[in-house]
Amino acid sequence: MNIFLNILLYVVLAPLAGGLLSGLDRKITARMQSRIGPPILQPFFDVLKLIQKESLVVRRSQNFYIGFFLILVIFTGALFFTGKDILLVIFAFTLAGIFFVLAGFKASSPYSFIGAQRELLQMMAYEPIIILSAVAMYMVTRSFYISDIVSFSRPLIYYLPGVLFGLLYILAMKFRKSPFDLSTSHHAHQELVKGITTEFSGRSLAMIEVAHWYENMLVLGFIYLFFARSPLAGVVLSLLAYFLVILIDNTFARVKWQLALLSSWLMTLIFGFGNILILFILPK
Amino acid sequence: MSYLKRSPWVIHYDASSCNGCDIEVLACLTPVYDLERFGIINTGNPKHADIFLVTGSVNEQNKEVIQNIYNQMPEPKVVLALGICATSGGVFRECYNVSGGVDKIIPVDVYVPGCAVRPEAIIDGVIRGLKILEEKHKKFQAISGGKGELTIAQAGIQDAGDILELQKLAYQSEAELYNDFSLSPLTQTLEQLEDDFKNKFFLKSVMHDKIIGSVRAFMEGDTCHIGRLIVHPSYQNYGLGRKLMREIEAYFPQAGRFEVFTGHKSRRNIYFHQRLGYKIFKRERVSELRDRVFMEKFANKDRK
Ligand code: SF4
Repeated sequence: MNIFLNILLYVVLAPLAGGLLSGLDRKITARMQSRIGPPILQPFFDVLKLIQKESLVVRRSQNFYIGFFLILVIFTGALFFTGKDILLVIFAFTLAGIFFVLAGFKASSPYSFIGAQRELLQMMAYEPIIILSAVAMYMVTRSFYISDIVSFSRPLIYYLPGVLFGLLYILAMKFRKSPFDLSTSHHAHQELVKGITTEFSGRSLAMIEVAHWYENMLVLGFIYLFFARSPLAGVVLSLLAYFLVILIDNTFARVKWQLALLSSWLMTLIFGFGNILILFILPK
Repeated sequence: MSYLKRSPWVIHYDASSCNGCDIEVLACLTPVYDLERFGIINTGNPKHADIFLVTGSVNEQNKEVIQNIYNQMPEPKVVLALGICATSGGVFRECYNVSGGVDKIIPVDVYVPGCAVRPEAIIDGVIRGLKILEEKHKKFQAISGGKGELTIAQAGIQDAGDILELQKLAYQSEAELYNDFSLSPLTQTLEQLEDDFKNKFFLKSVMHDKIIGSVRAFMEGDTCHIGRLIVHPSYQNYGLGRKLMREIEAYFPQAGRFEVFTGHKSRRNIYFHQRLGYKIFKRERVSELRDRVFMEKFANKDRK
């Protein structure tokens, strides 16, 4: 019974927290640009508005894919927050991403095409470090189960600072922020119109937005794992990581996809793989 | 309660003229005016936008662009003409390439004067636009939400008076378009219309006991001729015409082919029918002012 309660709590609370966080993000961003900024609840207003709008489609099936994207993201989160196998979480998460890309391709407009292709490139860029971090966590804790990882005797950060750094590097991709907001972005980068989300409006766009909130919570949860020994520190530090992403977002311009791909692979190799190598060589 | 007011996303298009107004729109997004504090985002994507800001007068080359952006915006939507150029053509109105204000192409909801238009005026205009957005949303809901409020049914001869009145109202814009007030829908008498009931099939759409739309059709051989699709001007752009067309096509399952016609300048009508799967196949001259464009659709294909 407990597990269902957990899932229920997660399904309700995660988008609330995710929405609030993205509202906070917009406020902080505005302040960094010395603007007043929208109210904290703005993301909720946006989504509620989108639900009231007409939903225009190029092909009806594109919304079907978006539905799967949302469901899979929620499913992934449910696995994660109930302490299931981290590999399964990663695969489900990737599958969700693939559905999003398919939706973009299905909409068949040049803009959403480019957006979808870039989204694929980004997945290629961030997948290695995510899988590596699962491997690294296994090496330290001898378990792929998140429940075991969380209850490990020492914070993982002691063993895996490099992996965490590698993860932080690709964080901007998952949050769709500069310098890696290649496929779509919340800002007024308009050369791709809106990239992968160009052809979505009304309800389906609202679904993408909500899925994004879930995603954000999941990614922050991932960061939290590194500090899970002391929950308070974990929450504070993962929020700090979010702040860092916002700061970087406001400091850097968007980079080309080549640089995004190469640099994140390089970071993965040097910090992620290097970290694992050291763990392997050094005696416990 | 509607959330449209809390989160209006805008798309901005600068038609032509001096770009002064264009820059003022962008100035609204800067820290000094910070439009985002009202939840306003400059999206750059018509499919995400609620408010269409047009600056500058419309010229012959960007007419279609404006029309296209407008058509791509999901309902409910509002159009703002910013600056005197967008309102009427302004100082450029007599240029050979300038067609005039934005309302020559698409319906404008709010006119904001000024040369250049002040950021404060733009913000004020947007806030006014929000009220209109809200009203449109209510109407839209009433129509698309249904809840038994909108009914489409066969019309009888007793409706002839109402339909004639509506017809004259709805064809005003066409008459203005061609500057020809002798169009047959405008000159038709009640007797003639009642005569039509003998050989044509009429549909009416009713809301709050009022007829707000109608369409008629008759069979000739294998072809179903659909004509006089009319929707009350203040209920246009809510998908009502589409519903009527779908409905009347469904009443003629035996038809192998559907045919409609409209005037050559009535781009909106042509586009509307194209979206329903009709294709132009013939053009005929009816007077020196007007050509008739015939469009057809075959029943077995183009069905989704
Ligand atoms: S209204 Fe004035 S400032 Fe604005 S575009 Fe026209 S000429 Fe330029």
